Amino acid sequence: MRTRKKLIALIFTTILMLQNIVFAQNTVETTYNYNWWGNGIEDIPFFELYKTIDKEAMGDITLSGMDDVTVVGDRIYIIDTTESRLNVFNTEFELINSIKVVRNAEGKIAIDPKTKSQVTLKNPEGVFIHEQNEEIYIADTGNERIVILNEKDFTLKRIINKPDNMVGQTSFKPSKIAVDRINRIYIIVQSGFEGIIELTSEGEFTRYFGVNKPKVDLMDHFWRNMASEEQKAKMQKVLAPSFNNIEIDDEGFIYATTFDTSAKDMVFRLNPKGENVLRENGAWPVRGDLIDKTELVVTQSPSKFVDIALTDYGTYALLDKNNGRVFIYNFDGELMNVFGKKGFMKGELNDPTSLAWMGDNLIVTDKQMKCAYVYKPTQFGELALRASEAYYNGEWDKATELLEEAISINGNFEMAYTTIGKSYLMKEDYDTAMYYFKLGNNREYYSKAFNGYRSIWIQENFGWIFAGMILVVVGVAYSEYRYFKKQRK
Amino acid sequence: MKQFIEDFKYLKYTIFHPFDAFYEIKWRGKGNMLLATLLLVLYSIVQVISYQYTGFIMNENPLFEMNSIAIIVIAVAPLFLFMISNWSVSTLYNGKAKIKDLYVLVAYSLFPIIIINVITMLLSNIVIMEEASLVFAFGTIGTLWFLFLMFTGLTTMHEFTLKENIMTLLATAVAAIIIIFLCVLYFSLMEQVINFVTTISQEFMRRW
Repeated sequence: MRTRKKLIALIFTTILMLQNIVFAQNTVETTYNYNWWGNGIEDIPFFELYKTIDKEAMGDITLSGMDDVTVVGDRIYIIDTTESRLNVFNTEFELINSIKVVRNAEGKIAIDPKTKSQVTLKNPEGVFIHEQNEEIYIADTGNERIVILNEKDFTLKRIINKPDNMVGQTSFKPSKIAVDRINRIYIIVQSGFEGIIELTSEGEFTRYFGVNKPKVDLMDHFWRNMASEEQKAKMQKVLAPSFNNIEIDDEGFIYATTFDTSAKDMVFRLNPKGENVLRENGAWPVRGDLIDKTELVVTQSPSKFVDIALTDYGTYALLDKNNGRVFIYNFDGELMNVFGKKGFMKGELNDPTSLAWMGDNLIVTDKQMKCAYVYKPTQFGELALRASEAYYNGEWDKATELLEEAISINGNFEMAYTTIGKSYLMKEDYDTAMYYFKLGNNREYYSKAFNGYRSIWIQENFGWIFAGMILVVVGVAYSEYRYFKKQRK
Repeated sequence: MKQFIEDFKYLKYTIFHPFDAFYEIKWRGKGNMLLATLLLVLYSIVQVISYQYTGFIMNENPLFEMNSIAIIVIAVAPLFLFMISNWSVSTLYNGKAKIKDLYVLVAYSLFPIIIINVITMLLSNIVIMEEASLVFAFGTIGTLWFLFLMFTGLTTMHEFTLKENIMTLLATAVAAIIIIFLCVLYFSLMEQVINFVTTISQEFMRRW
């Protein structure tokens, strides 16, 4: 009797535990990607939550938000706009320093020579680290200036105020900064429609850079043509959409983002002339979410990019404020992965402001949740990112190997098939390349592979084709001959 | 059977000499209803086959969600819609063709499309992307031929002038829209009626 009871209890507990296991399996987050037809398909996220930086790491210092994050070397710099602070963490996510009042080299509070007042940050919005010069550039938005600190001991180096020779209507309220290798300073001003402000290293105004073209509406154009001068004056002006964030890559190209809905492009890779040279060779333009009707993708609103983070191998991550998502594109502009969602749970984003790479990890800051999430690549993400790096560096065999492993984890990883196919195409293994391009739904490259396949086929079967052609010619000649013979009779 | 082969030969004559042939079909009964039906069936089958077997480079259809019935309906329904609306309008314009004549006319005009579709389907399997536009252009020949046959056939069968025919075609378009509207209206009303009946009967059964 007793054993029976025990047995029943055992069965019950096993059933309960089984349910637990099933539940645990269900909690593995599934995300989506887009297939060639623009429909959502199931996908595995590249990243999972690893750590959180929140007010527990801050000690006595209050934390009211996180607005911009930059990682250089073993330091994480996070801007807190509301508290007017620059918080610096190490890679163990411990606070090293928190700057509000800037000190000079002697350890005293620095005095601005121009205004004779103490140098205190006021609602800064952006930070940039210049690795070469060991300088920290802080966009001190509230004070309309740029404060440059020494990276080693956080002492004041110099201050750049509004240049005297600046033209145009844009007010000098620097929000995000990037500095290139020869110390030219690029400044984003929120809602500045004239472009990115470019300064020399001394703070002289050079030019406005990179004009963002607005979409031209045919109806709008028509009405504008019809209108009289007075009516035109009353009409709302079509202003160039403004940029909202900036990043600079190894080659000195400026990446900028915008979330203005009237903009033609959302992500920019600007060459020195200010033209957009972003590679968009994927099935879809670099715009984040597509408007999609499948149940998998719930959103109906377009993405609003607030930040971009670049890697050394051309892969970049875009942060979407609207739906709390991170999009990862490779250097060719192919969508690799989408992860993250909006919500209040841990690891979900509410009002994301900024993101940065920390090695292979991604740090995303959230203004409303007052924390920064550190995401670590999953096994699948690790494989895909390493493959992307290998492919960018021309190690196609390595990339193929890694991607084949990634596909064994997730068969819906459409762009991987294309990449594998490309490496087979390079080796002139047309048959295999065609197989992979078909799986990857890449018609352009399939055509290239098929071209090679076809010419080999023609070469091999040239005898038969030639014989066939001769047969046709002889046949035609013979029938003509017979026809004429008949006619003569 | 012999008659059938004879009519098939006449079909070949029709697509090259539409004015004469459609006149003969209308007034001397050279058309064959069986052959016409066969052509319509063939057309829908070719549509289904080319959906799947057009070469990968030119084929942008999601094959994994292919539905042959839907393809057949999409291929054939507009033809019948045209027949009915054109017939109903042309009576008002003193058109002479009966619905039977229109049926034969539409089916016979499809013949070039069927042949050219089969050829493009085969060709699309051996071309690369740069040559695809040539195949596509070749495919449009079929459509243009079809439209030409339809147009000439309508003029001869209805005994219309060019202007009358164009007017009738415009009116046909309007009639087609009205027919579609009525269909949609009918279906949505029927849906509501059926819903109503089912809810009532459910209620009835639960209460009993």
